[in-house]
Amino acid sequence: MSEEIKKHRPPPDPNSAKYKLGQIAAKAYSDAQAAKDRGEPVGWCASNFPVEIPETLGLAVVYPENQAAGIAARGGGARLCEISEADGYSNDICAYARISLAYAKIKDAPEQNVPMPDFVLCCNNICNCMIKWYENLSRELNIPLIMIDIPFNPDYEVSDGELAYVKAQFWDAIHQLEALTGKKWSDERYREVMEYSGRTSRAWLAATACARYEPSPFNGFDLLNHMAVMVTARGKKEAAEAMETLLKEYEDNHEKGVSTFRAEEKYRIMFEGIACWPWLRVTSTGLKSRGINMVTTIYADAFGFIYKDFDDMCRAYCRVPNAINLELSRDKRIKLCRDNHVEGLLVHTNRSCKLWSGFMAEMSRQIGQACDIPVVSFDGDQADPRNFSEAQYDTRVQGLMEIMEARKEAM
Amino acid sequence: MTVQEHLSRFEAVAKDPAGQLKGHLAQGRKVVLTAPVYTPEEIIYAMGLVPMGAWGGDMELRRSKEYFPAFLCSIVQSIVELGMAGAYEGASAIVIPSLCDSLKVLGQNWKYAVPSIPFIPMTWPQNRTPDYARDFILAGYERLIRDLEAATGAVFEEERLEEAIRVYNDHDRAMRELAKVLAAHPEVSAAQRSAVFKSAWFMDKAEHTAWVTELLAALREAVVGPKKLPVVTTGVLADAPGITALLDEYGFTVAADDVAAESRQYRTDTPEGGAPLERLARKFQAMDCCSVLYDPQKRQVEHIVRLAKDSGAKAVVMLLTKFCDPEEFDAPLIKKACDAAGLPMVQIEVDRQMVNYGQARTMLETLRDTLTA
Repeated sequence: MSEEIKKHRPPPDPNSAKYKLGQIAAKAYSDAQAAKDRGEPVGWCASNFPVEIPETLGLAVVYPENQAAGIAARGGGARLCEISEADGYSNDICAYARISLAYAKIKDAPEQNVPMPDFVLCCNNICNCMIKWYENLSRELNIPLIMIDIPFNPDYEVSDGELAYVKAQFWDAIHQLEALTGKKWSDERYREVMEYSGRTSRAWLAATACARYEPSPFNGFDLLNHMAVMVTARGKKEAAEAMETLLKEYEDNHEKGVSTFRAEEKYRIMFEGIACWPWLRVTSTGLKSRGINMVTTIYADAFGFIYKDFDDMCRAYCRVPNAINLELSRDKRIKLCRDNHVEGLLVHTNRSCKLWSGFMAEMSRQIGQACDIPVVSFDGDQADPRNFSEAQYDTRVQGLMEIMEARKEAM
Repeated sequence: MTVQEHLSRFEAVAKDPAGQLKGHLAQGRKVVLTAPVYTPEEIIYAMGLVPMGAWGGDMELRRSKEYFPAFLCSIVQSIVELGMAGAYEGASAIVIPSLCDSLKVLGQNWKYAVPSIPFIPMTWPQNRTPDYARDFILAGYERLIRDLEAATGAVFEEERLEEAIRVYNDHDRAMRELAKVLAAHPEVSAAQRSAVFKSAWFMDKAEHTAWVTELLAALREAVVGPKKLPVVTTGVLADAPGITALLDEYGFTVAADDVAAESRQYRTDTPEGGAPLERLARKFQAMDCCSVLYDPQKRQVEHIVRLAKDSGAKAVVMLLTKFCDPEEFDAPLIKKACDAAGLPMVQIEVDRQMVNYGQARTMLETLRDTLTA
């Protein structure tokens, strides 16, 4: 979270969405610690592992990716990365993984502590790097690894074969967890979780769609913070309520003509990629100071997990970003750009993420062409502060702004 | 033919994949490229097509940068570079599996970078041992066959797969035997050994088996050369001339390898029993000990230590492909296991754009000095 933004704002209203969402994210950690203290098994869980499974089983889990982002945002990224590097991990490896593997070793980081796990839950629909990271966690900590493989889908639609394979693994994972923890799956509880997940997702989609208003009633950087709840807690009642509050606030903002973007909105862009957590203030200020509002990101679409039954849920997990081909990835983004009147695309070429950045050049060319908008990229990293240049970022954003400005003048 | 004459034949093929491609096409055969790390070549072969490995080349990257950021491995980048330069023209399709993130990306970029050669995906399951994984593999094969038929006009008949499996199992056995025999022949250089393995990617497997069988016969008659320092090589590739030259210069011999482009290909035969496609699916299910295959027990780590011990190697030379996530995650664990087993290990970062081998030289020189002290 940006210190600058904090400094200039009053303490959040406890009835506000921001406060509620922050509480949910913080409570996930404290609940897991409380479960650990009670002697219950606690898991470390990949961000796109089906959260419905631990939620229905009543298992406490924490998310190493969120933890790594938190550590990086609070300035601990380089310190932990260097610990892993000293153990022989290449600095080319994902910085979240390096931070997490370092934490597994030292078991303490004041920026964001988590209880140590009794099992790990992995899902590779975000990347195969996740498999290697969790294999190593499992081996180093000598704890069971439960893995759901959701293959990268080269096709536009999810095939019956993929669905059957993924569904069988969901049940396999459930049965393994039942055996491991003694908890029991309940269809009734699952229906409840599914209901909350649907409510949360519908509110999220509607809230993020408020970016269609000009000016947008929110600063897109808000989404980077709120998405943590969408990833980890969308099956909870409190998450549904908080997201509905967020939607109401955004609609109210629009009615009142105000926004959480605290500047005049001169330009509207889509931001592509994971946030540069160690440089959040710099990346945010670089935009805001020029009147550029990042009105949308793929996260707006990605976490709309609306499904009608178990099969449909499996299919939804096969369609998350990074598990889908270039054409579907592109079309989702084109829709976001068009729906939200985007005037430029700013791409974070994220050193930590080979999959996300790997076909971004071609995809962003196609998006730029289809939407007739300029595309500019910058080099950065989601958690290793050493892989970002403030000067390069500034120059690139300035360039993007100048193109958008020239286009406005020519209209 | 002498052993050296046999080896020269392999070297000529290994150095000239373009010539091989031309040769296959001139014979009226259609060629299908196969990208790393595992593709079901048997299916391609059974359709009367020639599978040819496409693992990139040692070269400067230029146009591939239009598609890839700098931090993707030079294997996938050089495959696209070669494709864009027209090196694969004449091939009917390329099969790219999605066993690592960079390979997933390769497939997506290929469609736009090299539109003249159709991309055919091969999606393997990572949770590969349960029965339901076999169904998924079979669905992947069906899709592969459909795409191959569309791209080449060839027709798949399952009965012919039986014969292709036999050809590939024979080749696997020949290559395993070769690796074992070469360990006892230090006069065969690391560069020559590499050429035998590399040539397999460019030849009809039945023909390659015949050549290897002849080489084995010649080796049985040959005088064994003076002893060298036996090592195990591990990594994705070990074919960089700069590296094999250094292994030879410092007196190493490859006692066994755990290289993805070499022996990892030949460890697992297609089992007997059942319909051919199902047998082939069971082959993939039985594969193990490779950085791109899900390995919750990290058996790959113990495999390398065991391989070194069983082959009498004195050290492990890890040729770590720069930006290869799967290998980079395994490297610290392998190092730790080698240390625990009292086995010296050097980790040399390699790259298909490598021009300066100074660091590799220093490391191998130091290893030689350590082992001979």
